[in-house]
Amino acid sequence: MADRRCKHLFAALSKYLDGELRAKDCRLLEEHLKGCKPCVAYLESLKTTVQACQKYRVSNPPRPSKEVRAALLAALRKR
Amino acid sequence: MNPHIDQALEILKSGDPQAFEQALETLQSAVYSFGMKFCGNREDAEDTAQETLLRLARQLKDFPDARALAVWLYKVAKTQCLMSRRKSKFAPAQMLSLDALMPHPEATGHTGVQSWEITPEEIVLQQEIRDKLEKAVLALPKHYRLVLILRDMEQLDTREVAEVMGISEKTTKMRLHRARVYVRNALAKYLHRAPASTEASRG
Repeated sequence: MADRRCKHLFAALSKYLDGELRAKDCRLLEEHLKGCKPCVAYLESLKTTVQACQKYRVSNPPRPSKEVRAALLAALRKR
Repeated sequence: MNPHIDQALEILKSGDPQAFEQALETLQSAVYSFGMKFCGNREDAEDTAQETLLRLARQLKDFPDARALAVWLYKVAKTQCLMSRRKSKFAPAQMLSLDALMPHPEATGHTGVQSWEITPEEIVLQQEIRDKLEKAVLALPKHYRLVLILRDMEQLDTREVAEVMGISEKTTKMRLHRARVYVRNALAKYLHRAPASTEASRG
Protein backbone atom coordinates (compact mmCIF):
# COMPACT_ATOMS: atom_id res chain seq x y z
CA MET A 1 0.00 0.00 0.00
CA ALA A 2 2.71 2.40 -0.94
CA ASP A 3 2.17 3.64 -4.46
CA ARG A 4 0.61 7.03 -5.16
CA ARG A 5 -2.66 5.57 -6.37
CA CYS A 6 -3.05 3.64 -3.07
CA LYS A 7 -2.39 6.80 -1.05
CA HIS A 8 -5.09 8.67 -2.92
CA LEU A 9 -7.63 5.88 -2.48
CA PHE A 10 -6.65 5.23 1.14
CA ALA A 11 -8.31 8.51 2.13
CA ALA A 12 -11.59 7.36 0.60
CA LEU A 13 -11.95 3.97 2.29
CA SER A 14 -14.29 5.09 5.08
CA LYS A 15 -16.59 6.89 2.66
CA TYR A 16 -16.65 3.71 0.59
CA LEU A 17 -17.59 1.59 3.62
CA ASP A 18 -20.32 4.06 4.57
CA GLY A 19 -21.73 4.20 1.04
CA GLU A 20 -20.89 7.90 0.85
CA LEU A 21 -18.47 7.79 -2.06
CA ARG A 22 -19.56 9.36 -5.35
CA ALA A 23 -20.35 6.84 -8.09
CA LYS A 24 -17.34 7.79 -10.20
CA ASP A 25 -14.89 7.51 -7.27
CA CYS A 26 -16.55 4.28 -6.21
CA ARG A 27 -15.90 2.74 -9.63
CA LEU A 28 -12.26 3.91 -9.53
CA LEU A 29 -11.75 2.40 -6.10
CA GLU A 30 -13.35 -0.90 -7.06
CA GLU A 31 -11.19 -1.06 -10.19
CA HIS A 32 -8.10 -0.56 -8.05
CA LEU A 33 -9.19 -3.15 -5.50
CA LYS A 34 -9.40 -5.81 -8.22
CA GLY A 35 -5.63 -5.68 -8.61
CA CYS A 36 -4.35 -4.65 -5.17
CA LYS A 37 -4.43 -7.33 -2.47
CA PRO A 38 -2.91 -5.13 0.28
CA CYS A 39 -5.67 -2.54 -0.25
CA VAL A 40 -8.35 -5.26 -0.16
CA ALA A 41 -6.90 -6.65 3.07
CA TYR A 42 -6.68 -3.18 4.59
CA LEU A 43 -10.26 -2.40 3.62
CA GLU A 44 -11.44 -5.64 5.24
CA SER A 45 -9.54 -4.88 8.43
CA LEU A 46 -11.02 -1.37 8.53
CA LYS A 47 -14.49 -2.84 8.08
CA THR A 48 -13.86 -5.27 10.94
CA THR A 49 -12.74 -2.38 13.14
CA VAL A 50 -15.95 -0.45 12.40
CA GLN A 51 -18.03 -3.56 13.14
CA ALA A 52 -16.19 -4.06 16.43
CA CYS A 53 -17.00 -0.45 17.39
CA GLN A 54 -20.64 -0.95 16.43
CA LYS A 55 -20.89 -4.06 18.59
CA TYR A 56 -19.11 -2.58 21.58
CA ARG A 57 -21.40 -2.20 24.59
CA VAL A 58 -20.84 -0.69 28.01
CA SER A 59 -22.36 -3.00 30.58
CA ASN A 60 -24.00 -2.37 33.93
CA PRO A 61 -24.94 1.29 33.72
CA PRO A 62 -25.95 2.53 37.18
CA ARG A 63 -29.59 3.29 37.90
CA PRO A 64 -30.61 6.95 37.58
CA SER A 65 -30.23 8.90 40.82
CA LYS A 66 -33.23 9.88 42.94
CA GLU A 67 -32.53 13.52 42.09
CA VAL A 68 -32.75 12.85 38.36
CA ARG A 69 -35.90 10.76 38.74
CA ALA A 70 -37.61 13.45 40.84
CA ALA A 71 -36.60 16.25 38.44
CA LEU A 72 -37.91 14.44 35.38
CA LEU A 73 -41.15 13.44 37.09
CA ALA A 74 -41.70 17.05 38.14
CA ALA A 75 -41.01 18.23 34.59
CA LEU A 76 -43.52 15.76 33.18
CA ARG A 77 -46.21 16.85 35.63
CA LYS A 78 -45.80 20.48 34.51
CA ARG A 79 -46.42 19.62 30.84
CA MET B 1 -29.99 7.45 15.41
CA ASN B 2 -30.25 5.48 18.62
CA PRO B 3 -33.74 3.87 18.38
CA HIS B 4 -34.00 3.60 22.17
CA ILE B 5 -33.95 7.40 22.46
CA ASP B 6 -36.86 7.59 20.02
CA GLN B 7 -38.77 5.11 22.16
CA ALA B 8 -37.92 6.94 25.38
CA LEU B 9 -39.18 10.26 24.05
CA GLU B 10 -42.47 8.67 22.96
CA ILE B 11 -42.93 7.25 26.46
CA LEU B 12 -42.14 10.57 28.12
CA LYS B 13 -44.57 12.38 25.80
CA SER B 14 -47.31 9.84 26.50
CA GLY B 15 -47.06 10.60 30.21
CA ASP B 16 -47.55 6.92 31.03
CA PRO B 17 -46.28 6.54 34.62
CA GLN B 18 -45.91 2.76 34.20
CA ALA B 19 -43.41 3.23 31.39
CA PHE B 20 -41.58 6.20 32.94
CA GLU B 21 -38.93 4.06 34.67
CA GLN B 22 -38.15 2.29 31.42
CA ALA B 23 -37.72 5.58 29.55
CA LEU B 24 -35.57 7.01 32.30
CA GLU B 25 -33.29 3.99 32.37
CA THR B 26 -32.97 4.06 28.58
CA LEU B 27 -31.83 7.68 28.63
CA GLN B 28 -29.53 7.07 31.61
CA SER B 29 -27.96 4.10 29.84
CA ALA B 30 -27.43 6.02 26.59
CA VAL B 31 -25.74 8.99 28.22
CA TYR B 32 -23.73 6.95 30.74
CA SER B 33 -22.44 4.65 27.98
CA PHE B 34 -21.38 7.63 25.90
CA GLY B 35 -19.57 9.04 28.94
CA MET B 36 -17.77 5.76 29.62
CA LYS B 37 -16.59 5.50 26.04
CA PHE B 38 -15.28 9.07 26.01
CA CYS B 39 -13.96 9.47 29.57
CA GLY B 40 -13.00 5.87 30.34
CA ASN B 41 -14.03 5.97 34.00
CA ARG B 42 -17.27 5.45 35.92
CA GLU B 43 -17.06 8.65 37.97
CA ASP B 44 -17.01 10.97 34.97
CA ALA B 45 -19.57 8.86 33.14
CA GLU B 46 -21.92 9.08 36.14
CA ASP B 47 -21.40 12.83 36.42
CA THR B 48 -22.11 13.16 32.69
CA ALA B 49 -25.36 11.20 32.97
CA GLN B 50 -26.48 13.07 36.09
CA GLU B 51 -25.83 16.58 34.75
CA THR B 52 -27.22 15.83 31.29
CA LEU B 53 -30.48 14.35 32.59
CA LEU B 54 -30.98 17.16 35.11
CA ARG B 55 -30.68 19.63 32.23
CA LEU B 56 -33.10 17.52 30.25
CA ALA B 57 -35.66 17.86 33.04
CA ARG B 58 -35.43 21.64 32.72
CA GLN B 59 -35.89 21.61 28.93
CA LEU B 60 -38.11 18.62 28.32
CA LYS B 61 -40.87 20.54 26.60
CA ASP B 62 -38.56 21.89 23.89
CA PHE B 63 -38.07 18.76 21.79
CA PRO B 64 -40.24 18.33 18.70
CA ASP B 65 -38.90 14.88 17.84
CA ALA B 66 -36.47 12.17 18.89
CA ARG B 67 -33.78 13.34 16.50
CA ALA B 68 -33.73 16.78 18.11
CA LEU B 69 -33.60 15.15 21.54
CA ALA B 70 -30.73 12.84 20.56
CA VAL B 71 -28.65 15.68 19.10
CA TRP B 72 -29.32 17.82 22.19
CA LEU B 73 -28.49 14.97 24.61
CA TYR B 74 -25.18 14.19 22.93
CA LYS B 75 -24.27 17.89 22.69
CA VAL B 76 -24.80 18.36 26.41
CA ALA B 77 -23.08 15.08 27.26
CA LYS B 78 -20.13 16.03 25.05
CA THR B 79 -19.75 19.36 26.85
CA GLN B 80 -19.92 17.61 30.22
CA CYS B 81 -17.28 15.09 29.14
CA LEU B 82 -14.96 17.82 27.88
CA MET B 83 -15.22 19.50 31.29
CA SER B 84 -14.59 16.27 33.17
CA ARG B 85 -12.23 16.48 36.08
CA ARG B 86 -10.30 13.33 35.33
CA LYS B 87 -8.51 13.75 32.03
CA SER B 88 -7.66 10.60 30.09
CA LYS B 89 -4.11 9.56 30.74
CA PHE B 90 -3.91 8.21 27.21
CA ALA B 91 -5.16 11.04 25.06
CA PRO B 92 -2.78 13.39 23.28
CA ALA B 93 -4.14 16.71 22.03
CA GLN B 94 -2.60 16.69 18.57
CA MET B 95 -4.02 16.25 15.10
CA LEU B 96 -3.85 12.92 13.29
CA SER B 97 -2.00 12.93 9.98
CA LEU B 98 -3.38 10.52 7.41
CA ASP B 99 0.05 10.11 5.87
CA ALA B 100 1.49 9.06 9.23
CA LEU B 101 -1.36 6.61 9.78
CA MET B 102 -1.01 4.90 6.41
CA PRO B 103 1.00 1.66 6.45
CA HIS B 104 4.45 2.00 4.88
CA PRO B 105 5.99 -1.34 3.85
CA GLU B 106 9.45 0.15 3.50
CA ALA B 107 9.40 1.19 7.14
CA THR B 108 7.84 -1.90 8.70
CA GLY B 109 8.98 -4.68 6.40
CA HIS B 110 5.38 -5.75 5.84
CA THR B 111 2.10 -4.24 4.74
CA GLY B 112 0.52 -4.30 8.15
CA VAL B 113 -2.52 -6.08 6.77
CA GLN B 114 -1.54 -9.70 6.35
CA SER B 115 -2.05 -10.97 9.89
CA TRP B 116 -5.63 -9.69 10.34
CA GLU B 117 -7.22 -13.06 10.93
CA ILE B 118 -9.86 -12.37 13.52
CA THR B 119 -13.51 -12.18 12.48
CA PRO B 120 -15.98 -9.47 13.53
CA GLU B 121 -17.81 -12.04 15.66
CA GLU B 122 -14.66 -13.02 17.51
CA ILE B 123 -13.47 -9.52 18.13
CA VAL B 124 -16.34 -8.63 20.43
CA LEU B 125 -16.02 -11.86 22.40
CA GLN B 126 -12.48 -11.36 23.60
CA GLN B 127 -11.91 -9.29 26.68
CA GLU B 128 -8.35 -8.50 25.67
CA ILE B 129 -9.53 -7.13 22.33
CA ARG B 130 -12.20 -5.10 24.15
CA ASP B 131 -9.54 -3.66 26.41
CA LYS B 132 -7.36 -2.80 23.44
CA LEU B 133 -10.30 -1.19 21.65
CA GLU B 134 -11.13 0.90 24.72
CA LYS B 135 -7.52 2.01 25.06
CA ALA B 136 -7.23 2.84 21.37
CA VAL B 137 -10.39 4.95 21.50
CA LEU B 138 -9.20 6.72 24.67
CA ALA B 139 -5.83 7.38 23.04
CA LEU B 140 -7.45 9.31 20.19
CA PRO B 141 -7.26 13.11 20.36
CA LYS B 142 -10.59 14.18 21.85
CA HIS B 143 -12.24 15.63 18.73
CA TYR B 144 -11.46 12.49 16.73
CA ARG B 145 -12.61 10.32 19.64
CA LEU B 146 -15.94 12.11 19.82
CA VAL B 147 -16.62 11.67 16.12
CA LEU B 148 -15.76 7.96 16.20
CA ILE B 149 -17.91 7.31 19.29
CA LEU B 150 -20.89 9.24 17.93
CA ARG B 151 -20.75 7.72 14.44
CA ASP B 152 -19.58 4.13 14.96
CA MET B 153 -20.59 3.37 18.54
CA GLU B 154 -23.69 5.51 19.08
CA GLN B 155 -24.55 5.11 15.38
CA LEU B 156 -25.65 8.66 14.64
CA ASP B 157 -25.52 9.57 10.95
CA THR B 158 -22.93 11.95 9.53
CA ARG B 159 -25.27 14.95 9.61
CA GLU B 160 -26.21 14.35 13.24
CA VAL B 161 -22.56 13.95 14.26
CA ALA B 162 -21.67 17.19 12.47
CA GLU B 163 -24.51 18.94 14.30
CA VAL B 164 -23.47 17.61 17.71
CA MET B 165 -19.85 18.59 17.05
CA GLY B 166 -20.62 21.97 15.45
CA ILE B 167 -18.46 21.15 12.42
CA SER B 168 -19.08 20.53 8.71
CA GLU B 169 -19.96 17.10 7.34
CA LYS B 170 -16.72 17.18 5.34
CA THR B 171 -14.65 17.65 8.50
CA THR B 172 -16.71 14.99 10.24
CA LYS B 173 -15.88 12.45 7.53
CA MET B 174 -12.20 13.37 7.54
CA ARG B 175 -11.94 12.98 11.32
CA LEU B 176 -13.93 9.75 11.26
CA HIS B 177 -11.63 8.13 8.71
CA ARG B 178 -8.48 9.09 10.57
CA ALA B 179 -9.93 7.90 13.87
CA ARG B 180 -10.95 4.56 12.34
CA VAL B 181 -7.51 4.07 10.80
CA TYR B 182 -5.84 4.90 14.11
CA VAL B 183 -7.98 2.36 15.99
CA ARG B 184 -7.54 -0.23 13.25
CA ASN B 185 -3.78 0.15 13.41
CA ALA B 186 -3.80 -0.12 17.21
CA LEU B 187 -5.83 -3.33 17.05
CA ALA B 188 -3.75 -4.78 14.20
CA LYS B 189 -0.55 -4.62 16.23
CA TYR B 190 -2.26 -6.32 19.11
CA LEU B 191 -3.76 -9.03 16.91
CA HIS B 192 -0.30 -10.23 15.92
CA ARG B 193 -0.03 -11.84 19.32
CA ALA B 194 -3.54 -11.83 20.81
CA PRO B 195 -4.57 -15.13 22.34
CA ALA B 196 -8.23 -16.18 22.36
CA SER B 197 -9.98 -15.32 25.59
CA THR B 198 -13.38 -15.63 27.23
CA GLU B 199 -16.27 -13.21 26.90
CA ALA B 200 -16.49 -10.43 29.44
CA SER B 201 -17.63 -6.87 29.52
CA ARG B 202 -16.70 -3.62 31.09
CA GLY B 203 -18.61 -2.48 34.15
